[in-house]
Amino acid sequence: MVAMLAAGRAAASRPQPYYRFGVLPLQSPTMLARMFLPLADALQQALHRPVQFVTAPNFSSFMRRVQRHKYDIIYLNPLLYTRARRWGYHVIVKVAGEPFTGILVVRRDSGIRGLDPRRLPPGLRIGFPDPNAYAATIMTRQYMAARDIHVNRDMKVRYFGSQDSALMAVYYGMVDMAGAWYPSLRSMPRHVQAALRVIAQTPPQPQMPIAVRDDMPAADVDRITQLLTHLTTTARGRAALAHLGFNRGFVIAHEREYNGVKP
Amino acid sequence: MRAMELDHGDALRAGKAQAPKLSFFRTLRFRLMLSVALVHAVLMGAFVWSAVNQQSEAIRAELRNRAHSLITLMAVASTNALLAEDLGSLAEVTARVKRQPDVTNGAILDVRGDVLASTDPHQVGHYLRIPPRGSAEGGRHRLQLEAPIRVAGHQVGTVLLGMSTRHLQSELAATRDEGLLFILLALVVGSVAAWGVSLLITRNLYTLMTAVRRIGGGNLGVRVDLQANDEVGLLGGAFNAMAESLQRISEQAQSEHQQRTDAERLACVGELSASIAHEIRNPLSAVINAVKLLDRSDLPVSDRAQSIAILNTESLRLQRILNDFLDFARIRESRLVIGDLSALIEEVAALIRQHPHAGPVTVEIQCDVRPCMARHDPDQLRQVILNLMLNGLQAMPEGGQLQVRVRCCGRTARVSVTDTGCGIPAQLLDKIMRPFVTGRKQGTGLGLSIAQRILMQHGTTLSILSHVNVGTEMSFDLEVA
Repeated sequence: MVAMLAAGRAAASRPQPYYRFGVLPLQSPTMLARMFLPLADALQQALHRPVQFVTAPNFSSFMRRVQRHKYDIIYLNPLLYTRARRWGYHVIVKVAGEPFTGILVVRRDSGIRGLDPRRLPPGLRIGFPDPNAYAATIMTRQYMAARDIHVNRDMKVRYFGSQDSALMAVYYGMVDMAGAWYPSLRSMPRHVQAALRVIAQTPPQPQMPIAVRDDMPAADVDRITQLLTHLTTTARGRAALAHLGFNRGFVIAHEREYNGVKP
Repeated sequence: MRAMELDHGDALRAGKAQAPKLSFFRTLRFRLMLSVALVHAVLMGAFVWSAVNQQSEAIRAELRNRAHSLITLMAVASTNALLAEDLGSLAEVTARVKRQPDVTNGAILDVRGDVLASTDPHQVGHYLRIPPRGSAEGGRHRLQLEAPIRVAGHQVGTVLLGMSTRHLQSELAATRDEGLLFILLALVVGSVAAWGVSLLITRNLYTLMTAVRRIGGGNLGVRVDLQANDEVGLLGGAFNAMAESLQRISEQAQSEHQQRTDAERLACVGELSASIAHEIRNPLSAVINAVKLLDRSDLPVSDRAQSIAILNTESLRLQRILNDFLDFARIRESRLVIGDLSALIEEVAALIRQHPHAGPVTVEIQCDVRPCMARHDPDQLRQVILNLMLNGLQAMPEGGQLQVRVRCCGRTARVSVTDTGCGIPAQLLDKIMRPFVTGRKQGTGLGLSIAQRILMQHGTTLSILSHVNVGTEMSFDLEVA
């Protein structure tokens, strides 16, 4: 192996540099890969340069890598984007159409019908993907707080690392309720979706952005923007969007749209 | 199991002492042992070769299967961590893989070829060119595998795994050595077993062989007692039957020979008695008549003197007949020594030349080689040659040529005495050797008989070739020393 490594180093230079497409670990890495690899392929074709899909073990790791410029293109939540733009990234597009809302999900056979604090069972177990998950955690927590529901006081909170895990925890009865967002729910297997029910939806926020590093060549930025905003016009683009669950594709986004996003 | 009349040990010793030396490698025992050993070696060799091959294939297949299972598991186990670039989890995967038996190295590469985890920590973070597909064999003692990590049909990384085949090689070597040991063991066991079997089989044959040799030596009373119910046992029975038959026939022949000899002896005595009676009857009648005449007182003086002369002559004749007969009856055993024939013949020829009747006869001696050394009894052979030359001399009263010739021919010397006399009538040739058979009135008919008896004691016989009024050649052979 050492000889092979030496031969590899000596005889071959690294292939054409990759653009690294970092995706916030909203769901399990494999699930995210299934969703984003077709989009990465499309980007690769548009840029004439290989694009590597990557995610991170958790939000914190993802943001540390963002801070160290380990990704060229990032897909993250609006709240985390407000931090990323301070580290040299700027938004180019956002998910189109669907409002960016957090949802609270219970099992369909659960007795919980709404978020009336008086009717919620004591000691309710609630699951979130990550403390920094904007829609699934922060927005749903804010939503419940606005309704005088004290999560940390009245509920048992568990973090499962990703929205998939949180949703599966509800499905298996490990928790009574979970915070998530619609794309994650739609990516779950059909029988899981059928067994779950949305009991609350937060008010909308600016949609999930795709940002690029500030030092990316302008031509590449244009190519990426063009591709992403025209995905709905090509069969391949629509197929990629179908994997993502964003049927309306992406639209141009502006910095000012995220100015109001706060934790 | 023994040859009767001698105990088995004696018989074997006797057989070994008399038998021609048989090389061990040509014995039935060796050939049987060699055959069984070869069959063992070939069969065991084929079996071991097949077993080693099968085990080798099984071990290789097991290693390949294990390697494929391991690398597949490695790929599955590292997919999420690879996508998340979770180096800690990936390092845990490679560390666990490294703990598996026979694993030499393992690495997880992302889609770019960068090493995210490896059993060799120095590789992590470096670009590594992925070996071409299909190069599964990584060297003489290494199995090198590569498996892509795929998600939804997209390759997102690669797993490399190296497994050592040294354990496999050592297992194969152990199997092969074990097989060779089995072959060797089979050879030894087979050879020993074959030796034992060959001993059982050939022991009876050796007994038979010893018995046959003793029968060949003249002991027809030999029997074998083979405690075997197989073909050799049957052979032993047949041998005993044959020996029984031989002994019976031999005893019968011996008895018949004895009877015939006794009859011949009696006939010979009768014939001799008749011959003697015939020979002495005439002179004895003459003596009796002469004595009767002398007994008469009126016999004239002239008749008395004639009767006395007849009495003397016939008495001398009787004396000569009796002396010759005694010579014939008292021929002693020959004492053979090596001596010069030519000198002996010259000595006899000198005597013949001084004989009263030798005047008109020319005596000639021819010897191819001088000296001609031959094995003979000088006194007896001198008498033979003297008798033959006297016969020739007496066959030529009017003169002629008497030739004695010695010719060497290989290991023999032929002595011939030839005269140019009256020859022997054909009707006498067949019986001329018998005592008292002669063609001359003055002969006793014992000279040739004596010569023939002496020559027979020398291991030869007298040959006669004769033509009436042409001459006679008498010859015999002697062994040259």
